Parts: sequence; C-alpha cells; structure tokens
Amino acid sequence: MRYQDLILPILISIPLIIIQIVVVPFFSIDNIGPDLLLILVVYFAVKFGQINGLTVGFIIGMMFDLSSGGLLGSAMFSKTLAGFIAGYFHNETSVDTNLSTYNFSLIVLLCAIIDSATYSILGGSLVNLSTAALIINNGLFPGLYTSALSMPLFIFRSKRSFN
Amino acid sequence: MRKFISYLLQNFKEYLLLIILLVTSLTLLSQNDKKGIEKIRTFAFGNFAFVTASLNSLANIFVDNDELNQLRIQNAELMLEVNRLRNYALENHELRNLMNYKDTSSFPFVPAEVISKLISNTQHNFIINVGNKDSVYKGMGVINEKGLIGLISEAHSNFSMVRTIKNARLKIAVTNQRSGVSGIMTWDGTHLIIKNIPSNYDFQMGDRIVTSDFSTIMPPMVSVGIVTKKEITVSGQLSNIQVEPFVDLNKISDLFVLKIIPSKQIDSLQLNLMAQ
Repeated sequence: MRYQDLILPILISIPLIIIQIVVVPFFSIDNIGPDLLLILVVYFAVKFGQINGLTVGFIIGMMFDLSSGGLLGSAMFSKTLAGFIAGYFHNETSVDTNLSTYNFSLIVLLCAIIDSATYSILGGSLVNLSTAALIINNGLFPGLYTSALSMPLFIFRSKRSFN
Repeated sequence: MRKFISYLLQNFKEYLLLIILLVTSLTLLSQNDKKGIEKIRTFAFGNFAFVTASLNSLANIFVDNDELNQLRIQNAELMLEVNRLRNYALENHELRNLMNYKDTSSFPFVPAEVISKLISNTQHNFIINVGNKDSVYKGMGVINEKGLIGLISEAHSNFSMVRTIKNARLKIAVTNQRSGVSGIMTWDGTHLIIKNIPSNYDFQMGDRIVTSDFSTIMPPMVSVGIVTKKEITVSGQLSNIQVEPFVDLNKISDLFVLKIIPSKQIDSLQLNLMAQ
C-alpha cells in the first residue's frame, strides 16, 4: 500500500463529505439518500485492494463522523467493513472490468446494504428496529439509491477506457 | 513465535487490520460520552460547520436575504399573534363558563302572574299562579325587573300568596349599599322604615338600599329602594331611616319567584321575625 493511494481518496473525500451533508439531503426520500462516500471507498477498495479499502473506509468514516456530528465510531465501523468487503473484488487482472461495468454497481449495492444496516444498528442502538425494517428500510433502499448513483461513474470510466 | 507472528502478518494482515480498526471503532463508539471525545467532536464539528456555512453563504449570494428575513420575522410575529388570540379565546371561553355558572346557580327564576291583590295599608298581599307543582315553596323571594316585591308566605299546589314589602308582618334584612350599614326594614303602614339605627351610622339621602348578605331568604344585592329621610328619635341616640321602594306595587302584574330554598334553621328565625 502506497501513501499516495491513501492521500488521494482523503483529499477527494473532503468535498464529498460537504456534498453528502449539504446537498444530498435535498435528494433524500423519506430519510433515504445515496452515500457518495461509500462509492469512493468501494472504488478505491476494488482498485487497490482490501487493506487500502478498509484503511480508506476507516479514515473517511472517521472524518464523516467528526464532521457530521454523529456518533464517533459508527461510520468508521461501517465504512471499514464495507471497504473490507469491497476489497474482495480486487483483482489485478480484472480491475478495469470491475470498475467499468455493471459489476461496480452490484459491488456498491452489496457494500451499501451492509454499510447502511451496520450504521443504523450502531447509530440507533436504543431504537427497536425489526429485522425487516433493518434489511429493507435501512439496508436495501439506501443501497439501491447509492448503487444507482454509482452508475454514471462506471459509464464515464468505460467510455474513457474505450476512447 | 516470531515466525508465527510473521506468518499471520503476511497471510492474514487484512483480517488483523480489520479487527484492529473495528475494535478501535467500537471503542470510540463506547467512549462518545467522555469529555475528551466530546471536545474533539465539538471542535471538529464546529470547524466543519464553519466551512459549510461559508459555502452556503456563497451559494445564497444571489438570494434576496433581506426579503426572506423580513418574511420570516413576519411569519414568527403572526405565529405569536395566533397564539395570543388562541389564549384570548380560551380565556373568553372560561369567563363565559364562569358567568353562566353564576347566573344559573344564583338566580333561578319562576315567572308568575298576579291573579289577585289584597290591598291594605298593613296587609298587602298578592296571589300568584304558581305553586308547589312549579317548585315554589314558602319563604322564597319575589322580585321583578325593578327590585324586591316580597316573599312567598303560603304555597299551595298551583297558587301561592306573596307577602309584599308593604305588609307590616314582613321584616327584611337590608344594607346601605354605599356604607354597608345593615338593619331590619319593615312597613309601618305608610312608609318602609329601617328602625333603631344608631344616629352616628352613615345613612345619607339617596343611598341605595339592597337586601343584606345576612338574609338567607333573599339573595344579596337585590334592589329595594332609596333613602328619602332620616328621623332621629327623641333620645337622639337612634334614628329611623325612611325608604322609597323602587317597585310600584300598584302596577305590578308580572313577577318572578326566586327558586332558592333557604336554610331551615335561619328560615325559621326569619319567619319568626315575620310573625312578630
């Protein structure tokens, strides 16, 4: 793992955190919105591997917790876990395939479901969430939204690699 | 041991790092209420909020903030006014309820008509068309819109006898409304007189006389008449107060019986006064 591979995502994450906190709430539906930071974590995890993914997830999660005023540790935990899972799809020979096709959106969907559900459990430990609510409302819907928003990224990347 | 550790680090470094980072996250999560963590969060949140506020102000540079602020102020003022009006409505409702309670509880009336009049200088009585069937009983007061007329001296099933204020057998506790001095008023055959009032008591011409709080037969503050004359007796220590009634008994045809049942014990005492 190179330091440059950590610095770049952290630099990108700063404006993304601002957008996530200021702009995304305008596009949220019933408190369900896309997670731009997760797309970034998944992207770097798929591109550079598990260690890079979970480290980036941890740092970005910590920055998000500190900047959003949420419970310190909740986003750290969920983003670390998501980065680790996304890192499983890292393969030196198939990086471009995973990042430039629908695979990326599917990886984002899987990671987003886990990330959202974990964040809900840790952030709302005093709330009695049913299993169905946990999976559907706090996992699947945000995951689908995030996954849909990740599509432009791989479409843009695939066109770029094609050119 | 070193070989084992190096083996773990080489083959399971991702898992080890994952465990370390997750444990760190959970540890921080459990320490959120600690003052040190709170200070860090506050510092980070405050600084980041400054950045987002600056960006927001840049984004809103083309928005007319003055007009928006004025509208917000107006909105808040209107909200407060609505709350004030709501309070007034509640107060009004309560006051109206109180007034209704006072009205209905203090002055239940039974309307009646005068059937016959016994005209006499000492035995002035009326017979009216309401009785026990109308919940009218002995001792109840009789008034009209101008003031006191008398009280029910006898009650039958459909009719009752009213002993008027111009009946010598009727004695009523009254009060000077201005000075609050009380006395017993009676008919002396020509005038309504409050007898044996100490001369130094405050009675002046034109003072209004009303029924007294001491009476359980009549409700207090029912108008009776006005003071027209003050006569000092021969000894000079006492005086008699002459009262002109508000009610013209000769012209009365309609009246009201006050449906107030007096205390039996005090009633008997007052009826004794009546019998004297």
